[in-house]
Amino acid sequence: MVVALQPRDCELSLGDQITRRVGAARADTPCAQRRQWRRVPAALLLLPMGLWLALGFAAPMATVLLLSLQADTGIFAPLSFIPSPAQFMHVLTDIYYLDMIARTLWTGLATALLSAALGLPVAMWLAALPPRWQPLGVALVLIPLLTNVVVRSIGMILFLASNGPLAQLTGINILFTRTAVIIALTQVFMPFLIMALYDTLATRDRRIDEAAASLGATGTDRFWFITLPTALPALRAGVTVVFLLSATAYVSATLIGGGRVWVIGRLVFEEALQIQNYPLASALAMVLLVVCLLIVSLINLLFRRLTPWLQPREGRARTGDGFGWRLPALARRALHVVAPTLRRVALSVAALLLVGPLVFVALNSVNDVPQATAAAWRGFTLKWYAQIFSEGSNYIDAAMLSARLAGLSALCAVLIALPAAFALVRHPGRGTRTAGGLFLLPLALPGIALALGVLRLLQWFIIIPPFVGLMVVHVVLIAPFTLVMLRAAVESLDIRLEEAAASLGASPMRAFMLVVVPTLAPAIFASAVIAFLVSFGEVTVTAFLTTARMLTLPVRIYADVQFDVEPTVNVISVLTIVVTMLALAAVNRFVGLDRVWRR
Amino acid sequence: MTQSKLYRPTRRRFGQMVLGSATLLAAPAILKNPVRANIAPGSTLVVGVWGGAQERIVREFCGQPLIDEYGVNIEYVLGGTTERRARAYQERGRPSFDVIYLNIFESRQAVRDGVTQAPREIEGYDDLYDLARIGGYGVAFNATTPVYDETMVEAPITSWQDFWREDLAGKIAWPSYPGAQGTAALLMAARINGGDEYNIDPGFEAIRALRPFAAFQGSQAQLFGMFDAQQVAASAEFGSFTQMYADTQNPNVIVSDPEEGMPVAMNVACITEGTENQALAEAWVSLHLSQACQRAYAEQLYYGPTIRSLELEPELAAKTIYGEEDVASLIDFDWDHIIAQQAAWSSRFNREIAN
Repeated sequence: MVVALQPRDCELSLGDQITRRVGAARADTPCAQRRQWRRVPAALLLLPMGLWLALGFAAPMATVLLLSLQADTGIFAPLSFIPSPAQFMHVLTDIYYLDMIARTLWTGLATALLSAALGLPVAMWLAALPPRWQPLGVALVLIPLLTNVVVRSIGMILFLASNGPLAQLTGINILFTRTAVIIALTQVFMPFLIMALYDTLATRDRRIDEAAASLGATGTDRFWFITLPTALPALRAGVTVVFLLSATAYVSATLIGGGRVWVIGRLVFEEALQIQNYPLASALAMVLLVVCLLIVSLINLLFRRLTPWLQPREGRARTGDGFGWRLPALARRALHVVAPTLRRVALSVAALLLVGPLVFVALNSVNDVPQATAAAWRGFTLKWYAQIFSEGSNYIDAAMLSARLAGLSALCAVLIALPAAFALVRHPGRGTRTAGGLFLLPLALPGIALALGVLRLLQWFIIIPPFVGLMVVHVVLIAPFTLVMLRAAVESLDIRLEEAAASLGASPMRAFMLVVVPTLAPAIFASAVIAFLVSFGEVTVTAFLTTARMLTLPVRIYADVQFDVEPTVNVISVLTIVVTMLALAAVNRFVGLDRVWRR
Repeated sequence: MTQSKLYRPTRRRFGQMVLGSATLLAAPAILKNPVRANIAPGSTLVVGVWGGAQERIVREFCGQPLIDEYGVNIEYVLGGTTERRARAYQERGRPSFDVIYLNIFESRQAVRDGVTQAPREIEGYDDLYDLARIGGYGVAFNATTPVYDETMVEAPITSWQDFWREDLAGKIAWPSYPGAQGTAALLMAARINGGDEYNIDPGFEAIRALRPFAAFQGSQAQLFGMFDAQQVAASAEFGSFTQMYADTQNPNVIVSDPEEGMPVAMNVACITEGTENQALAEAWVSLHLSQACQRAYAEQLYYGPTIRSLELEPELAAKTIYGEEDVASLIDFDWDHIIAQQAAWSSRFNREIAN
């Protein structure tokens, strides 16, 4: 946001001042901000992530683009460098594909909306927890991410099945429908949204609430006028991520949809791997990518309209001054009546979705059945645990490899995304905006298409040590999440703290280490945890890069469940959840996370 | 070896040349009867195979003996056929796999595409049924057949035609196409309605008449989950593993023996074209064709042995594809033609049936 500094900018409306205090203060004093950050050019801040993505993403992406421009769809057809629109024409003129694109987008948008509706109350609950309990709360929210996709899907199928609890209690049988797919996607992607919101909500200034309460604002008023507006930038981040993830996902759609629910990702998978029609698969992936980016820019536009106080002056003209959040008196009264109930309902549904898998996998991990899909309890056994730890099971090796890979990838992702987040927030402009959009591309490209590009580039990966190759790709896959989350955090960073530090004589580096890093610690921690878990669970792309010595845990599980789903997969999920909880608790106890946690 | 060095050979180079010539002269003998002695200790065999029980069996019966005898390393790349095949195709000519396991029609296509080798007369080859000598080395017979939950149907299923019965309407999990089971089911639907692989229309029309389906199943694991959830009544699936599932977990599930017969399916061990571990790979496959390994497959998975010499107990034999008669009764199709139609049929299946 490079705006000409006008005197008017210093005369802020009351609404502006409130929102600024609330913490959504986007560095609105350009004079100070430019002084501070001009020293590090935006290009330099964007460079690490740009280079990494150029290496690990642009090459496979270019391959996919090249493939999508082929006219000849034969498996061994030589690559032509004369672009042909044949595949795109094929996709865009066929109502079957267009219909599927529409349905895919609907799935993504519905998932994003449902995640927002359920995730917001959870994030508020999490932010209001006593600090010492927050790591546990975070772990609970992360349970779906810690549970293997196959296990999660089996749990969902059993829950929704005609002999499952939902159908037995309510008579509703939605298994193998798109609704069920949307619920399943919400379950796994909602944690991303909650984690994005959590940071903003946990670090906002409580005094605003106190002030509002002292002036007679009810809880509902405070939610409507303070919490929600404050949370909007983070909500935008969360909704964007959830939309992109669910629009490109296909495994859940295949499993929970009982094969009846189609999304583009699934078609890309089928065309690419089963039919081996790479050009068509690539074209489908590219079309999905473009459409997804269009939707994302619409989401951004919508949120810009909703947050006029965060926009430059000239952009505000049409939205009027101050809040656009006034409600008619009647609607407000109605809201007062239903809001507490709504919140409770949303919270319980979200809790059920988040913690449900834990109960399911914990019970089934000690269930004496030959297959994990069994609905009935057949007696207690610890043999599945014994099998995991038995000699030659390789699960422990795979888990260690996955943990090492995920740890290093998360670290790299944070290291490259943090400077980029600063560049995007502190150096707004056409160039950084473009870069910001480009950096999100890996989220919008279906994983299977990236895998396809990587597959074509396999010869490059043969000379690269497998672990490094895997890490490069994993960072590409997780860095966009990290960027989105860190960007929201940097946006809510109060630049005056840095100004104060500078005015007291701190060098930029010192101010960064002593002021910025501690302030951002919760966000860095949250995004690192998410990055770790995404990397830890990634299977679509990894499956193509693994060699025998580099078999990650999810790929190992994925291989095992092709024929039969042994209950050992439940054990793995239980152990992952327990280890994560212990790790978070230990960090909390020994490092004193609760102090870092609360600024 | 460069030209200049050829003209002025050193003593060592001369020795190498003599050795090379000797190898060349002896080559016919070696090729005809592969000698295991040329397996170098320390070399590494990369095997692409399914996970779960199959991995455990091959580790025990193929991997461990090779490690013990030759001091070699075996690396297992686990996963499904689809990913494995796609990767092998991408690596054509310079494979990272030495041995990959494919399904019947994929293996024949892979040989034609130059991705994997046609079978050679390795140890155990003579013992194979003729059906198992195409597209590599068949290691296990499977047959696709109607399977059903007896509590959810009015009468036993005894024919492929029974899918069109009224009591099954809306309760079928059709196997999705393309896939071994989906292909077999489509072909049978065509066959019982007067068509065949060259005239597939009757098949598509018949299946379309079955809509709506309760679900489409893409793997055995998925189907068993659907049976467990009592969400579907019937499907077409490999009899072998479904029988194991019925025996150990869901006694309501019955594997039918349809009067029209069952289309063949087969797991095939394929040695990649361009492997640097030819002898080791062949030794691996020979071990897979050994009686011990074939017996383990039959006992643990009810997979039918592909070798003639294995004797199974009557009880076990009844549950597997076993013996000349059983093997001869399997319905074979023109798989080359079928694989050539795959893209078109898949597109048609998605639009007319799965959509």
